[in-house]
Amino acid sequence: MNPNKTRKIPSFFHLVGAVWYRHYRVYQNHFFTNSFPTVIEPLILMLSFGWGLAMAVGSMDGVDYLSFIAPGQAMMAAVYTSAFEESYGTYFRMMVDHNYDAMLSTPINVTEVFWGELLYTGTKGAFFSLVVVLVLSCFGIIHSFWGLLVPVVGFFTAIAFGSLGLFAARLVKNINQFNFFITGVVSPLILFSGTFFSIDKMPPYAAVIAKVLPLYFFIDVSRMLTTGRFNSDLYIALPYILIVPMVMGHFAVKAMYKKMIQ
Amino acid sequence: MSNDHLIEARQIVKNYDDFRAVDGVDFAVKPGECFGFLGPNGAGKSTLMKMIYCFSPRGGGELSIFGLDPDKSPAEIKNRMGVVAQTDNLDEDVTVTQNLQIYGGFFGIERTELNAKIKELLAFMALEAKADSGIRELSGGMKRRLVIARALLNEPDLIILDEPTTGLDPQVRHLIWAKLRELKAQGVTILLTTHYMEEAHELCDRLLVLDKGKVLAMGKPEELVKNSLPAYVLELPASQKDQITLSGSLQIELHGDKLFLFAAAPSELEKVAVQFKGQFRIRTTGLEDLFLKLTGRDLHESE
Repeated sequence: MNPNKTRKIPSFFHLVGAVWYRHYRVYQNHFFTNSFPTVIEPLILMLSFGWGLAMAVGSMDGVDYLSFIAPGQAMMAAVYTSAFEESYGTYFRMMVDHNYDAMLSTPINVTEVFWGELLYTGTKGAFFSLVVVLVLSCFGIIHSFWGLLVPVVGFFTAIAFGSLGLFAARLVKNINQFNFFITGVVSPLILFSGTFFSIDKMPPYAAVIAKVLPLYFFIDVSRMLTTGRFNSDLYIALPYILIVPMVMGHFAVKAMYKKMIQ
Repeated sequence: MSNDHLIEARQIVKNYDDFRAVDGVDFAVKPGECFGFLGPNGAGKSTLMKMIYCFSPRGGGELSIFGLDPDKSPAEIKNRMGVVAQTDNLDEDVTVTQNLQIYGGFFGIERTELNAKIKELLAFMALEAKADSGIRELSGGMKRRLVIARALLNEPDLIILDEPTTGLDPQVRHLIWAKLRELKAQGVTILLTTHYMEEAHELCDRLLVLDKGKVLAMGKPEELVKNSLPAYVLELPASQKDQITLSGSLQIELHGDKLFLFAAAPSELEKVAVQFKGQFRIRTTGLEDLFLKLTGRDLHESE
């Protein structure tokens, strides 16, 4: 329309932000429906465990059982929202709604699209883990104001699991194969990362494996925050939870590049 | 810009595994021109388009858009381009205006400027009444117009349309053609793919006929027809083949269940037509005839 006008290309951060904003605006209508299970699920778990298992177990690692599993509930919310968003969600945006084609017709490239997505899924993870912490604090099982920092951990947890979701989206041939991802990858990670029992109860080699896999340290740090009992693990855990999600994100975005640009 | 051409392609190639989708294509598009890719399904039109809008790296050859290499400067190229893909990839969960606001953000258009632009484009595409409607409330034609409006947000120098009117009714189709002509009058260069001869004829200054990844012909629509076919044609059912007496100067082609008799003057065809008591009419040759001749209908019908 105005052939001589040249428009400046927005910066990388602007474009990542624009993708984040797109997801926020488009999906906010579903926010309530999506957040409902995230809030309800830990409540149900608390009730069932509180009535049943917690009585039998008594305490774990020096805290009462419900306080022990509380931080894991917040992380589970971040894990599920991000793992689903970046596997099924990505698949739909890619194969059904063709949203990526629309975004990629602008100065946005694959890298900005998927970093914007991971940032969005991180935000969701932070928000949902905050909601869970607030809900659980009503049960008196969040013992420290440090617990308010759990959403920060939730943000990084969501980026890690969002990246796993992207790898799954990169690999699947059809949508049913995501079952392998959820049942074969996400669920075991939740069960064996110190969510419901201390990994000290596992054989030593298994405990080492559990520590390396991407959930243990997120729960470990969250637990320090909700109980207010910090230990020397923090020196390893803190760099781990900040760096590992970024590295995973980097490779996930690269994998998606190969899928998108053919 | 390093030359007078907005797009310049030399011997470009694209391979998917063992399949060669584009096989050594040459063409150049001048600023302000409407250039069309014409070809049957699977000819390589969309692949060629994808390479131009930086979705698909080329497998060989040289390609420059605005004097830039799409492999090296995709963001710079896309910043000056508007793309209307084959499928309406709108954000279904937000309104018409919100769709445009979100998309404008991808170009970093400042808010006041963007809102003014959105108003202007909704008016241009006759969608003002739908500004606050949801996407699901729109008809197919409205969605298409919205996708075109969206592609104009960044005031592109080049707009690319992949089968812009496929699946739309004739009224909407004519409206879209009128709008595209308006854009062209404003100096926007247009590149489109189509397999509608009428569309190619209505819009395109020049055409490239493509099949199996190769260029079959290129030029102005009328000239293409004039240079490759006699001026008149008579279409008959193929079953009548044995009942007609043919004079030597007629050109005959068989496509599916139709027999096409071509001649430079209508008088030669009239001799045949009288045998059928005027049941079949003589008409001037057009793009459709050329297309059939070049690409061969039989082959593609069986696909």
